[in-house]
Amino acid sequence: MIRFENVSKKYGAILALQDVSVEIPEGQTLGLLGRNGAGKTTMLNLMTGYFPPTEGVVRVGGMEMMTHPRECKRLIGYLPERPPLYDEMTVSEYLAFVSELREVARGAGRAHIDEIIGLCGLGEMKHRVIGRLSKGYRQRVGIAQALCGSPEILVLDEPTVGLDPRQIAETRELIRLLAREHTVIFSSHILSEVQQLCTRVLILHEGRVVSDLEPGEQTPDQQKLRLRAAMGRDRLLRLLAELPCVLQAEAVPGSEEGEVRLVCRRQDENGLATDQIFRLFSRLDTPLRMIREEADTLEEIFLRETGGNA
Amino acid sequence: MKTIWKRELKGYFFTPTGYVFIGVFLLVASVMFYMTILRQHSGDLPAFIAEMTYLWMLLSPVLTMRLLAEERQKKTDQLLMTSPVSLPAIVVGKYLAAVTMLLITAGATLFFVLVVAIYGTVFPAELAVNYLGFILAGCAFVALDLFLSGCVKNPVSAAALAFGANFLLWILDLLERAVEVRWIADVLRFLSLYSRNETFMMGQLSFAAVLFDLSFVVAFLTLTVWMLDRRRVRS
Repeated sequence: MIRFENVSKKYGAILALQDVSVEIPEGQTLGLLGRNGAGKTTMLNLMTGYFPPTEGVVRVGGMEMMTHPRECKRLIGYLPERPPLYDEMTVSEYLAFVSELREVARGAGRAHIDEIIGLCGLGEMKHRVIGRLSKGYRQRVGIAQALCGSPEILVLDEPTVGLDPRQIAETRELIRLLAREHTVIFSSHILSEVQQLCTRVLILHEGRVVSDLEPGEQTPDQQKLRLRAAMGRDRLLRLLAELPCVLQAEAVPGSEEGEVRLVCRRQDENGLATDQIFRLFSRLDTPLRMIREEADTLEEIFLRETGGNA
Repeated sequence: MKTIWKRELKGYFFTPTGYVFIGVFLLVASVMFYMTILRQHSGDLPAFIAEMTYLWMLLSPVLTMRLLAEERQKKTDQLLMTSPVSLPAIVVGKYLAAVTMLLITAGATLFFVLVVAIYGTVFPAELAVNYLGFILAGCAFVALDLFLSGCVKNPVSAAALAFGANFLLWILDLLERAVEVRWIADVLRFLSLYSRNETFMMGQLSFAAVLFDLSFVVAFLTLTVWMLDRRRVRS
């Protein structure tokens, strides 16, 4: 649906995006994560055609944005970080304007706007002047305008920033709803939000895509385990490290005595890693008090890939 | 283009801008009408229309100040630039909205003509040429001021810049009369909107003057599109 081919973007001497190649297929809910200045907004602005890349090609729906801007832009609804609202217009006037701008047929316009108003929960606000709306409702109007023209792709730049907790929950629910029928791409600083909403996450750092993953996905041949046994930590680590399937064993800082984290081969010639561990403790006649599989949390991956503090 | 034109035209009436422009124009024009026509028992409409042309210089920044500068300031340009609308359509749509306001105002000034027609004589052909010059001068100022609105982010700065540029054009006219070096005077005369306008006010339909005004408009609209596109590429 959207394809970046070796895309770079420079702002003067500053390289905001470096040689990014990414393909976003139809139906995905993609989250862009990154620290401030990582290139998230630049990437969104490039895919919406707000500005062209310095190098490389952006394709939307198989068409090149530079040569077919109109066709590409018809496929995308965009909510920038600051919703592009005209304060002097009422909600319905504004949505009628955006619908016309996005070439919604005149006859279908009214029903289309009413549908969007209903979907975004703006029914009571439709005759209100935008300038007098609360931040939460302004954000909803921003999302509503992105839906005008029924675009196949929704691009949302930090859609929950500056909202109160209730508004955040409502906006997330709305995004979840929209993701059923649209390809949704959004940027966020909030890791839990991305984890909850996305089927795929790109982590950007200093203008590069440093990680492309599906939240919760595991490395197929490896397994992360966390276990606690009735044994001193040093001895436990030594015994576990001797198991052929264990690649790495380490203590968990701040945890109880006898609690360790392992990276293992999921299965080798001796059987499953978990089976080998159970057999070890059975042989030692030592109680194994807890064992569970651990996924890399998005936070861990984010910190690792972006080199330190979030 | 039509969508942009409609929104901008409505925008003039959603905010005080449209009312201020028409109101102030007609108020000052009324004072001029009293001084030039009524007080002197004169029917010299060309002189009155020539004076009204100066009002475009003073007031066209009011029409254009928000058109592009405010879009940039409030970041609503992101909506326009990411919609399936071309840059020339955006610029021309905005320009036509300002010109429509200008035509509404020019239409309202026909009331003064009506007064003269009741109490004196009006020569329709001469009047038509006078009004053509009056409107073309306004269109030229709007094109220049729209370009300047695209140069800055703040509507007030855009208005100040536009007023300064309009004033400079007026000064050119005065300079042309003061300069003794002939070729400089010729260049200044060529660039001066006011001296071009004089032929219209004399009731002469000059195609050169019409062409100049239209070229002036096209040149500044093209410059505006070019500037916005360059900024988009460089941003």
